[in-house]
Amino acid sequence: MATKEKEWISIPMTVDVPYRFAAGEYLTKTLTELRDNGRIYAVECPKCKRVQLPPRIVCAECHVKNERWVELALEGTLAGFTIMYLPLTDPTTGKPHEPPFVYGSVRLDGATSVMDHFVDVEPDREKVWVGMRCRVVLRPREERIGDLSDIRFFEPLPGQKKPQPSTH
Amino acid sequence: MKRNVAIIGGGQTYHAARRHDVDQAEMVNEAVRKALLDAQMTMDEIDLVLLGNMEFFEGVHMSDCWLVHGTGAYGKEGLKITTGGTVGATTVCAGAHHVASGLFDRVLCIGFEKQEEGDTGAILSGVAHPLWGRSLAGAAVGYFAMMASSYMAAWGATEEHSAMVAVKARQNARKNPYAHLKLDITIQDALNSRMLAWPIRMLDMCPASNGACAMILADEKTAKSRCRKPVWIRAMETAHNEQFELDWRDVKTKRPIFSKVCAERLYRKLGVVNPVDYFDVFEIYEPATWAELIWYENLGLCAPGEGFRLIEQGKTEIGGPIPVNPSGGVLSTNCIGASAMLRVWEAALQIREEAGEHQVSKPVRRALTTGYGGTNWTVMTALSRTLDD
Repeated sequence: MATKEKEWISIPMTVDVPYRFAAGEYLTKTLTELRDNGRIYAVECPKCKRVQLPPRIVCAECHVKNERWVELALEGTLAGFTIMYLPLTDPTTGKPHEPPFVYGSVRLDGATSVMDHFVDVEPDREKVWVGMRCRVVLRPREERIGDLSDIRFFEPLPGQKKPQPSTH
Repeated sequence: MKRNVAIIGGGQTYHAARRHDVDQAEMVNEAVRKALLDAQMTMDEIDLVLLGNMEFFEGVHMSDCWLVHGTGAYGKEGLKITTGGTVGATTVCAGAHHVASGLFDRVLCIGFEKQEEGDTGAILSGVAHPLWGRSLAGAAVGYFAMMASSYMAAWGATEEHSAMVAVKARQNARKNPYAHLKLDITIQDALNSRMLAWPIRMLDMCPASNGACAMILADEKTAKSRCRKPVWIRAMETAHNEQFELDWRDVKTKRPIFSKVCAERLYRKLGVVNPVDYFDVFEIYEPATWAELIWYENLGLCAPGEGFRLIEQGKTEIGGPIPVNPSGGVLSTNCIGASAMLRVWEAALQIREEAGEHQVSKPVRRALTTGYGGTNWTVMTALSRTLDD
């Protein structure tokens, strides 16, 4: 007699929850400057002088109020990157980013913090490296909505070559 | 500590990608029963139950209430702990604090995750700031890939070094009957596995596991009268990082980052001069191969920039002078809420000399464990065989 395979019931379900997230005083300033004027503002701690982006009302290390706003350059240096081969879903839109694509952490000149975003280069390790100089590419003013998508991506500054590893 | 605290029992489930044969309470109960059996104790003797589990990974909130029959917490004092990858270690740490305070004598700590029931990646994207970075939330793999690219650029390590860690973990796991990924793989297999996010390949990452771990902590009097081989918790430390600041993505950072700060504080507490001499075995939280190399350096097992040399020289193998993750580690088994507790429990088994086939070759008097989780923090626990160690 054939033995029946044991059955285990599991039930699929989806949870879809809407949220409305408040940016608050500090981040609202940075996001409106980005949208309206194409500028990136960070805050500097009066004590340790770290220039923090996104701007935080209190310096986590010094526990003091950050009050001085600093406009950052729209150029910086790539501190780490990856070439992504997975079709990651953008949790804010539900749509996948088409792989392969490059993204990384860039420290804008003048900032202590880094910022993660797409890097507009071919997904080729010879075309992207730690230490590469990049600049911010914004969407046109009329397309900007006041969030990080107002920045399309970082692009490499022209005329750079990947440094070759030393031979020793 | 105000009162000495010992681990007097523990247990874990088998870990696997599929556990449709049990619901969450049934799975948790497997580990709880094993821990009670190991401690020769009944549930009536437990006076506090702490449950570690990530919020909404299984689609339910307040799992401490839902699972009260499986955890044994009905009618008892207890609370739930949710701290990311560190959950299991935080739960042990909180349990030890409760015993050390003198308010509780016998505490049951449980950690579990049933990853197959939800979408861990989707829920983890909630760790990223909704307005600053979430649209790019690349699950854990993206973060570790950036860290790896920074590590390679800074020190000249190669993908082969990462593959060596991948192989060590899975070969060790083959000696551990409870581990999830027991893979007989070679360096070439690791290098040929599917690219996920350069330079991270499939075999460089941890799996998504289902499983639970439970441990019973007790005060000195209970431990000495009830337990044949108590393992003493000698020191615990926790350190957080700040979001948006470079940490493991910039291996040369001079900032006081969580992993170094935590180790320094713990070593100072115990008077550790050289951790390699002081501790006999390490169980660390390495969701990706590259994290293991960074841990070597941040724990002071070698100088900065030499982590990849340590794996190259085979020093951290089960039979090596600095055994790291003889259990197979998180790379072989990642049931998130239990993963950091498994580090502590596996280290306790090493001290009890009851790890079986994955018992390290050298005698173990002291062990160090780390937990790790988003958004970059750690809980470290140091264990010893006697109160004189």
